[in-house]
Amino acid sequence: MRLVKTELVDSREILPGQWLQSFHAPHLANGSRAGQFVHVRTGDLSGMVLRRPFSINTADPITGTITIHFRTIGRGTEWFTHLRAGDSVDMLGPLGRPFEVDPRSRHLLLVAGGLGMAGVRSLADEALRDGRQVTLLFGAASAREVYPSSLLPDEVEYVIATDDGSVGHRGFVTELMPEYEAWADQAFACGPAPMLAALARLAAGRRERLGVARLGRKRGGGKAPQPGSATARRKAFLQVSMEQNMGCAVGACLGCVIMATNGAPQRVCREGPVFAADEVAWESGW
Amino acid sequence: MKAKRKVTTSTVVRRGGVQRGPTPRRKASSSVAGAPPAAPARAQANAPRRIEAAGFRTPPPPTTEVDLSVDLGRGLVLANPILVASGTFGYGIEYGDVVEVDRLGAICCKGTTLKPRIGNIPPRVTETPGGMLNSIGLQNPGVDAVVEKYAETWTEWKTRVIVNVAGESVADYVEVVRRLDGVPGVAAIELNISCPNVGRGGLQFAIDAGAAGEVTAAVRRATDLPLLVKLSPNVADVRPIARAIADAGADALTAINTLSGIAVSPSRSKPLLGNIYGGLSGPAIKPVALRIVYEVSQVVDIPVVAIGGVTELADVLDFLAVGAVAVQVGTAIFADPTLPVRLVDELDGECRRRGLRSYAELIGTALPRKPGAPSSKGVEYRP
Repeated sequence: MRLVKTELVDSREILPGQWLQSFHAPHLANGSRAGQFVHVRTGDLSGMVLRRPFSINTADPITGTITIHFRTIGRGTEWFTHLRAGDSVDMLGPLGRPFEVDPRSRHLLLVAGGLGMAGVRSLADEALRDGRQVTLLFGAASAREVYPSSLLPDEVEYVIATDDGSVGHRGFVTELMPEYEAWADQAFACGPAPMLAALARLAAGRRERLGVARLGRKRGGGKAPQPGSATARRKAFLQVSMEQNMGCAVGACLGCVIMATNGAPQRVCREGPVFAADEVAWESGW
Repeated sequence: MKAKRKVTTSTVVRRGGVQRGPTPRRKASSSVAGAPPAAPARAQANAPRRIEAAGFRTPPPPTTEVDLSVDLGRGLVLANPILVASGTFGYGIEYGDVVEVDRLGAICCKGTTLKPRIGNIPPRVTETPGGMLNSIGLQNPGVDAVVEKYAETWTEWKTRVIVNVAGESVADYVEVVRRLDGVPGVAAIELNISCPNVGRGGLQFAIDAGAAGEVTAAVRRATDLPLLVKLSPNVADVRPIARAIADAGADALTAINTLSGIAVSPSRSKPLLGNIYGGLSGPAIKPVALRIVYEVSQVVDIPVVAIGGVTELADVLDFLAVGAVAVQVGTAIFADPTLPVRLVDELDGECRRRGLRSYAELIGTALPRKPGAPSSKGVEYRP
């Protein structure tokens, strides 16, 4: 974690109200992993007192750039759209814990709902670099909000679901999951909380349905790994990237907690944003 | 940079030497936390002055060092008057290398209770114009875990750590403070009295002079640690409460805690925060904080530590002008973690620019001049 001055390289509205911005930030491009995020300061310091957290959408160590992907939903995101190339932006990062891919996993299933694409996008790059196969299931309201396939690596199999059926499968993206649960060694998801909860329910019964041995079986049953630990995530079939209103993003203010199955609140900024799906208490009402 | 750092850490200590309350018993703990021993430092500061007074020498050339040190009573001497506020800086370790912790005047750690608390249901924070609302609900692992996990780290810092304490009853507060008493690394206590008093129908301690005085007195009896008490702005008149707390033996007051408020969810179907109510902080509340510091500093003789919307040096100077002797930075840390340390440098620079030997000359300049009997505070802190 470091405070870095970055420079805006490129800013594009890739979909109506959705922006993709690229920043020159060598420290972040080199030192971050898929699933981590940056906490970005807005320039309007009189009115907006909080930074804005963004997933690192992609990181390119060669050019030293990272990208963020967001929808304009308020004054903060609106402010970012007025940035021009060359503008300086203050970022704190990389923050949070990344996705953990089991070394033996060959087939990765990525599931994204809407802006959740930003949460799993860089894992596609990372996995392909490591020689794994990637299928990306993407859900959106309609064809107008479908992430352009031109912005994805060619090797990714891209499967789309839309609520209105204007392109791809008609219905929720979660309905595509069962087709792939046997193919996938591990799954990684980011999106609205109900979508993640549905995926978690599907993932919970997977081992019994398939009768497959659990990853990491050789080590034996052992004790359950600590929530938030890398081992807990690596052993999990499904990892989810969570979202919550955030204050400091370093674990000091305890603003961004979610409830874990062990009964203790977990900080999305510190123990997360990536959790093993079975660590999250989906039904707790938190 | 290096020269400045030297200034803030090496200069000392208490002006005047008016000792309030009993002599600190806890010599050991104060030296542990890294403050220079009081006696030799005072001798050092006084030595040239004595010579000057006797006329042996012409006055020394304008000093290059500015005295930023502040005495909050009972031996709590800070290297500079910039503190970080409770709840915004965790236990001091969260910001890691991003902040030079040792250059802060003091750290007020996250509110600590007797038993662990899981806190309120989220969402817990939201931004509002010029501020933010929070309803963390005092999530913390309980006093024993806090001591076990962090106290040792605190002993290694030059910066003093003030443990913020909350409770639901007088007995709660007393027990937490007892467990902190004598722990190396714990330099002082800050009481958060904006908590519901379960014994009295859930009325906050902070809104009633009697209850505020009662809890302060009880804690005072339980420890010789320096004791700060944090005032709530959610009252009609804060002055009787401040007086009651001062009379009950507090060493300093912190003003102010957050203002009570709510926000509405984007769908307008319910309040936004899981707890419905939150505390408003940030630049939006600065005028309220200024007013309360202005009122309180005129009715008590103990130091007032200001907090509420500090985002730049001008805010620090404003709070000093209305009688605060030190300032806490809170919400602004989230946007700019390096702000508190920069404020130390900027305050130092401001004093040099104005040719001041001590920042204490900036204190109380906007208060009405009272022709009546001078308070001990006046002797000590006003130019």
